[in-house]
Amino acid sequence: MPVIVIASPKGGVGKSTCAVLLATEFARLGAQVTAIDCDPNRSLSRWADRGIPTGISVHGSVTKSDIVPLIKRSDGDGRIVVVDLEGVASQLVSRAVSQADLVIVPMQPTALDAEIGSEALALVREEEESLGRTIPHAVVLTKTGAAMKTRVQKELEGNLKEAGVDLIEPSLVSRSAFSEIFAYGFDLQTMMEDPSVSTGGKIDKALENARSFTEAVYERLK
Amino acid sequence: MNGSNRLSGLSGLKARPKPSSSEDLDRADRVGEARGFVDRSPRKKPGRKPSKRTFQLHPKVLPDVGQLIADEAEALGLTQGQFVEQMWSAYLEMKNR
Repeated sequence: MPVIVIASPKGGVGKSTCAVLLATEFARLGAQVTAIDCDPNRSLSRWADRGIPTGISVHGSVTKSDIVPLIKRSDGDGRIVVVDLEGVASQLVSRAVSQADLVIVPMQPTALDAEIGSEALALVREEEESLGRTIPHAVVLTKTGAAMKTRVQKELEGNLKEAGVDLIEPSLVSRSAFSEIFAYGFDLQTMMEDPSVSTGGKIDKALENARSFTEAVYERLK
Repeated sequence: MNGSNRLSGLSGLKARPKPSSSEDLDRADRVGEARGFVDRSPRKKPGRKPSKRTFQLHPKVLPDVGQLIADEAEALGLTQGQFVEQMWSAYLEMKNR
């Protein structure tokens, strides 16, 4: 089953959010998901500490030496593997990328994110060349506006497409439910069904966004 | 088409072979390093580890004997504490004979 690696050397771009949304949505559809937390901030593990849906297992505190054997073990047993990487340029990142069936590079629609995120894209391309293996990769824009696209976002989308970069549509909109899921645990569906949860935003819209995003990712895994 | 229908073929996704030999990993490391993706594993704390010998004896001996003990420990490549431990073992052995 596929190994999805979420990579960007920049912190705070939404890597862990992507990882949680993909893990929970694939699990909701019946897949067995192994989520690997390589981030020293332990965002994924902290989310898991609050409760995880059935079908997901989380491995935390993964190091450069552990990552490849762990992916190999998890990849072989019929699971979808989602790897949430640290927000720095490290050897752990390059090793995880070498094992990927799909690398997703989250980027906020800002010039700085695009510049730093492009380092991850360049790394993937160079690893493809060095290992003689195609590593599918795509960018997803994160924390975008719900109502309309900013000028910078339109420009960035145009530039990425022009450069032949695969851009995942839809983008991940800035939704409070996406942040709140780390404080709540479980998945968006559970949050929506719990009357005590109040995110100050529309959970149904967040869920719709997460599902469309997961479908778009799935299309790339076939 | 709703989400579940679109994703109904999840079980059809197959694992693909991945490069995992040490040569492949070296290659991935080299490509990464050239782009600044370097080893950032936490380093071990530098310096000498604290000794497990924490008990302090307070013997006062005659100066010439003290100097001979210190010289002998140094000649054997031992600390004075290790040398005293060896003397203790020898004493026990002798006592139990």
